[in-house]
Amino acid sequence: MKLLLSLALLPWLLLPTAGLAAGPRSGWEKSVVRIEVSHNVYDYYQPWNRRSETVSKTGVVVGKTQILTTAENLSDRTLIRVQAGGRGAWANATVVWVDYYANLAVLTTPAPDFWSGLKPVTIPAKPSFKKDGLQILRWREGKLESRQAEFSQFAVRKGRLSDINQVFLEASSEIQAAGDSEPVVSGSQLVGLVIEQSGRNCKILPGAFLHMILSAHARAHAQAPRLGYFHFYWQPAENTDSLAYLGLPGKPRGVLVIEVSPRLDGQPNVLQPQDIILQIDNFDIDMQGDYADPDYGLLMLENLATRNRWAGDAVHMKIWRTGQVHDVIYRLPQYDFTNSLVPAGVFDQPADYLIVGGLVFQPLTVPYLQRWGGDRGRNALFRLNYYREDEATKARPSLVILSQVLPDRFNIGYQEYRGLVVEKINGQTVHHLSQIQAALEKPTGPFHVIDFVPNETVQRVVIAAGEREQTATARVLENFGISAAAQITPQPATAN
Amino acid sequence: MVAALLVGMAQGFAIAPERSVVQIYIFMQKPDWTAPWRYDPVQSASGSGFVIKGKRIMTNAHVVSWSRQIIVRKYQDPKPYLARVEFIGHDCDLAVLKVEDESFFADVPALDFGALPQVRSTVVTYGYPAGGREISYTRGVVSRIEMNTYSHIGNRRLLSVQTDAAINPGNSGGPVVQDERVVGVAFQGIQGLENTGFFIPPPIVERFLKDIADGQYDSVPLAGINLVALQNPDYRAKLQLPDNNSGARVDLIRPQSPASAVLQFDDVILRAGPYPVANDGTILYEGNRVSSAVAFQLHQSGDTLPVEIWRDGAAQTVTLQVAAPKDDQAQGNQFDVRPRYYIFGGLVFTPLTLDYLRDADRSGTRGGLADLNYELFYHAREDPETAPKEPVVLSNILNAPVNATFLVREATLVTRINGVVIERLTDVVRAFESSTQTYDVIGLGKHGTFETLNHAEAVRANAQILKTYGVPQDRNL
Repeated sequence: MKLLLSLALLPWLLLPTAGLAAGPRSGWEKSVVRIEVSHNVYDYYQPWNRRSETVSKTGVVVGKTQILTTAENLSDRTLIRVQAGGRGAWANATVVWVDYYANLAVLTTPAPDFWSGLKPVTIPAKPSFKKDGLQILRWREGKLESRQAEFSQFAVRKGRLSDINQVFLEASSEIQAAGDSEPVVSGSQLVGLVIEQSGRNCKILPGAFLHMILSAHARAHAQAPRLGYFHFYWQPAENTDSLAYLGLPGKPRGVLVIEVSPRLDGQPNVLQPQDIILQIDNFDIDMQGDYADPDYGLLMLENLATRNRWAGDAVHMKIWRTGQVHDVIYRLPQYDFTNSLVPAGVFDQPADYLIVGGLVFQPLTVPYLQRWGGDRGRNALFRLNYYREDEATKARPSLVILSQVLPDRFNIGYQEYRGLVVEKINGQTVHHLSQIQAALEKPTGPFHVIDFVPNETVQRVVIAAGEREQTATARVLENFGISAAAQITPQPATAN
Repeated sequence: MVAALLVGMAQGFAIAPERSVVQIYIFMQKPDWTAPWRYDPVQSASGSGFVIKGKRIMTNAHVVSWSRQIIVRKYQDPKPYLARVEFIGHDCDLAVLKVEDESFFADVPALDFGALPQVRSTVVTYGYPAGGREISYTRGVVSRIEMNTYSHIGNRRLLSVQTDAAINPGNSGGPVVQDERVVGVAFQGIQGLENTGFFIPPPIVERFLKDIADGQYDSVPLAGINLVALQNPDYRAKLQLPDNNSGARVDLIRPQSPASAVLQFDDVILRAGPYPVANDGTILYEGNRVSSAVAFQLHQSGDTLPVEIWRDGAAQTVTLQVAAPKDDQAQGNQFDVRPRYYIFGGLVFTPLTLDYLRDADRSGTRGGLADLNYELFYHAREDPETAPKEPVVLSNILNAPVNATFLVREATLVTRINGVVIERLTDVVRAFESSTQTYDVIGLGKHGTFETLNHAEAVRANAQILKTYGVPQDRNL
């Protein structure tokens, strides 16, 4: 029902694209556009520094005046330009909406000439393409490059910008350096957008997912629904003794719920450890944790949190608990980057920091860890990286670290300290830079006392409060050419 | 005099101290910590040593660790002599050996120890390094004297001396000589650095010899505290401490140490024994500025020393007992002990140790090691109330029908068995052996993973599993 409604409201999604065929001069040159994005990139080692970067990517015309592309590199954009036909004039463009959780965005341009001759494409709600006829397209030197791709599988993976588990199409191709939203097509159908390439393997957001997100945004405009996720931990029920222990009769099936942490949205937990999930939305769950998706075949159950479902939706589950089958309704929590203790993404905001007498405080985020280098910040200090394993809780929603000390006579003796997680300042627990500011308003006599989470370096530092602190901060800013002592993005009013 | 010397050399007489330097061959066998009943193939290695008083040979602990057989050879004497370890200090990387045939010592003079050498003075190393069969001499100067990590155990920093005399594999355990007295025992280098060798200085050697005088080795004692520099004038002002060069701050106290009864967080150590402590945490020791830890670690475990501290705006003197910690062995390399384990239903349980982590990593264990790394090095420090006393891991599984459907198969922390929190390996044994349940439920890892084992079937399968995999015993506790 939900799907029918959306189609009725979105006639442009059904515009015919008859006559388009894969390959050069197939008609796809009328639907594929080049996009050039200039955006700010922040140096999380020196968060007051930013540089401009310009990247090229690809988009697909999906409506009368709309271009679909991935959300990657659109954060903190300063200029977007689009070009039709792979050559000629560029037109300035704007973002209609961007959804970093879904990794999708729609752009538009007011330049009337731009749209002349362009044709929107069909995005089917279900995958119905020929698996042996995939092509990856992009503009190169004024020509539409078309590379064959060989279908590998549909698989549930984490997203590129978020940790949401969802279905992706995986295909093998000789194309190089793909992953900038290149459309994958089959005949006249848009099959998906390439978001990542590793070797020959291309990870592709499938068309049905694009359709779902586009429909939702078109329907809801500014208040588009957000993606949800399953916030409990489960394990396959391959250990048949575990099923026997829990008394499940019949053939082995279902998965075992193993950990259910308190929900940040205040909703009650309907699942408990040692529940066996037998069905989700009427799909039988097998002992590996897969279900038979009518569109994609066997997929991991995590996909059922995003398969035509949104945060807040009711997911029907059939579970086995204490010797009986129970029907429960699981309300999908909303996925948010701040659900993790160390947020995976920071978008459309500068890098936050606070400098106090040369002591630099920053939120612990994945972009900060990535600045250490290696695969997703693997080279960062072990302990800081290991916090990524933890979920945010009401008691500990986020972490602030003393990331470095800019040397000054005020902070002498502390210059080597870095990567220390702040626990308290002047006796007040801090999880956010704004809490540090508040704690600094109430010094311990003439001093600020800064306590760290127990570590092998140092547990406490003390600095002067008041005028000497302010003078030192001003001196540090001047000496290091920093324009402001703080950049603090306000906290959201409510979590999740 | 010169003539006599020349005659002696012409006749092939050795001039001391080379006559006292011996070559040590060992055949050793290390255990596989991931399959703790099993040993790696026998390997051979060689090092150096030297004769000291009491018909003993001094060498490095790492030269003779895990030895199955020790053979010593005297200078220019091809005869092999069997030796055994009499005492070994893995923390200070020193050992003394006894030779079965005491005639070995008949014509070998014992070397005497000298004092801590001066920086810039010349020293000569003696030993049998790789690259030849004969004794080798290298001359160098004392570059610096300071604390260094003793890599043999890995989690101790002790006084050491750096020299530019070449110290190569095989030199280990050989004497470093100055004015015909031993002023150090060569023991380690740093890969990638040229002209950089390290030797163990006389104060550490003398402490070791004094330690074993009562017939047992008690280990190097520690103060039980972390001292940090106190150079920031505002921190000093908060503690009402004069803004001078004196005093370092107590930043952490080991909970089980004697210091925890005497010292407090934010105490300032002004003097450790006879040594004034500077605000960078150092003392002036024999003309060298070194970490104040030296003032504590040259004592014997159980000794007390006066410590002048600054607390609540005034100086006072307390008596601090130093002690060799026993609770951090798992965080360092362990030697000459059989790994502990327990096997039930083919599940191999073993305490979490640095050795286990290293072998698990080496054997390509997938995943889970980050959790274990956190558990071994961080959990107890950050959250002592929830940290197990001796974390236990499910090391691996000896495949058998009874455990065939286990999903977790290696390198995972064991949290509970049948609802009982696992604090140490003996808890695992007790949980299984006292179980009256049809199914044993084993809690694993960070997120509540559990596996279930049919108890009766596991009991029935135990003997056959051990036999199939050639495991001599189901446990070494």
